[in-house]
Amino acid sequence: MFELASSSIGGQALFVLPFGDIVAYFSPFTAALFLFALIFTLVCIYSRPEKSMDIVFGTDALYAKEVTGKDLHFRRFMAIACGIATMGAVTSGDVFNFTLFVSMVGVCIIGITASVKNSQVQNTAFNYGIVAMLATIPLFGAAAITLAATGTLSIWELSAMAPAMPWIARALILVGVMGEGMAPFYVAKAELTRAPGAPYVLMIHVSSLLMFLRVVEIILTV
Amino acid sequence: MIGYLIAAPFLGLLYMGIHRKVIARIQGRPGPPIWQEILHTLKFSFKETWIPRSASKILYIGIVFIAIAIWVGALYLVLLGGSLLMLFGIYMLQKLVEHGTGLSPGSPYSKFGGIRSVISASSELPLFAVIAGIYFFTGSLMISDIIQYQADNGPLLFSLLPAAIAMYIITLSKMHYGPFSIIEAKEIVSGYRTEHFGAWRAGLEISDGIRTVVLLMTFVLLFWGAMSPVMLFIAMLIILLSMSFVCAVSPMLSPYDSVTVQLIVIVILVAWMAILGLIA
Repeated sequence: MFELASSSIGGQALFVLPFGDIVAYFSPFTAALFLFALIFTLVCIYSRPEKSMDIVFGTDALYAKEVTGKDLHFRRFMAIACGIATMGAVTSGDVFNFTLFVSMVGVCIIGITASVKNSQVQNTAFNYGIVAMLATIPLFGAAAITLAATGTLSIWELSAMAPAMPWIARALILVGVMGEGMAPFYVAKAELTRAPGAPYVLMIHVSSLLMFLRVVEIILTV
Repeated sequence: MIGYLIAAPFLGLLYMGIHRKVIARIQGRPGPPIWQEILHTLKFSFKETWIPRSASKILYIGIVFIAIAIWVGALYLVLLGGSLLMLFGIYMLQKLVEHGTGLSPGSPYSKFGGIRSVISASSELPLFAVIAGIYFFTGSLMISDIIQYQADNGPLLFSLLPAAIAMYIITLSKMHYGPFSIIEAKEIVSGYRTEHFGAWRAGLEISDGIRTVVLLMTFVLLFWGAMSPVMLFIAMLIILLSMSFVCAVSPMLSPYDSVTVQLIVIVILVAWMAILGLIA
């Protein structure tokens, strides 16, 4: 066991890998989040998408929407990239790396949905894209303010001198994560999830929730 | 620990049966026997089981095992006094399970249930207000430390009443037949679980049983503290009965009303907590 300064939040660190003052670590909390992201990434890799049943408007007929060909490959690739970025975000021991992974998740979510050939989904993907791009400003702003105020971006170091991260930086990083992927803040996101391809769409939800859980841990830790 | 694991699904299913019975009696109906949910689960366990042709097979099956795994994990976390942050993380991951269960078969009914689950995810946000409130009061998010704090300073129910109310609303939103149970409303058949039948449905019922125990036990331990197993059982039953009463007398809200009502109540409670924090 390695002594994490604020072990009363996510538990004692189980594994530590220092790179100078940047320390990558697993606590029981981040290990659980990592495992969850890994499971859903494996589901994306190995699972075929469902054939989403839709009613033909004005009739009783049903037809099955299929995700096939290039669309399938592209969306699977983006979902796997999203899963890897999420794993990075939940295990990163550095505020800047965390913000970088979070913005990568935002880009991947746009990729997962923007390739769906449905005007409603594309419209909401476009709206989401604007919000996600804007959200990078508070996200990286928070990292910049933290570095300027404390001289380090290491969560390990920051936790040792907590409360070190300025309140404005905490607020900004929270706003940034909400903008990048927090499902409840846009009903548009629920529209996005109407796209076919359950394993890939689910990755949007997985990444949003896990990023939010991690940012809460970071805010309380530093 | 194995004993708890075996007992938890049965106890949870029994609580769910009591919940149904109480709602029915308040509404002037005879209602099913209180062991009905246990019988349901046994019945589903032995029914013919297959996978719909339109389903995403790995996700369709995998999500049932994930549902059971996360609530077994949550049960152990509560019993071992682990991190509250991780426990509330599991509360939120339940939304993923609902979403995945709903999307995987390809059915429009279950898909609507899954999408309603995404919409209602905002109702989980108060969990973090509860976390913040408890952390600032007790200085720790380990459940064992919180229980010890209450042994030394008295129950948090009185000193942190807004957080207790917020937690009560969150627990209520996860109970069946409640005003916020939009994900399994009758107009979308059984909601996100419509296409999971046979052994898959039995698996989801077992996870629901364990979830019920975890939700009620967490509420009691967080806001009253440790007590003997018998007293814990009675305290959980009292909380359950109060929720059954709320569920029996309140109609199910429409999806957007459900989210709006929850958010308004929570904003008021968070403001109350902030004022308490400033005074302290």
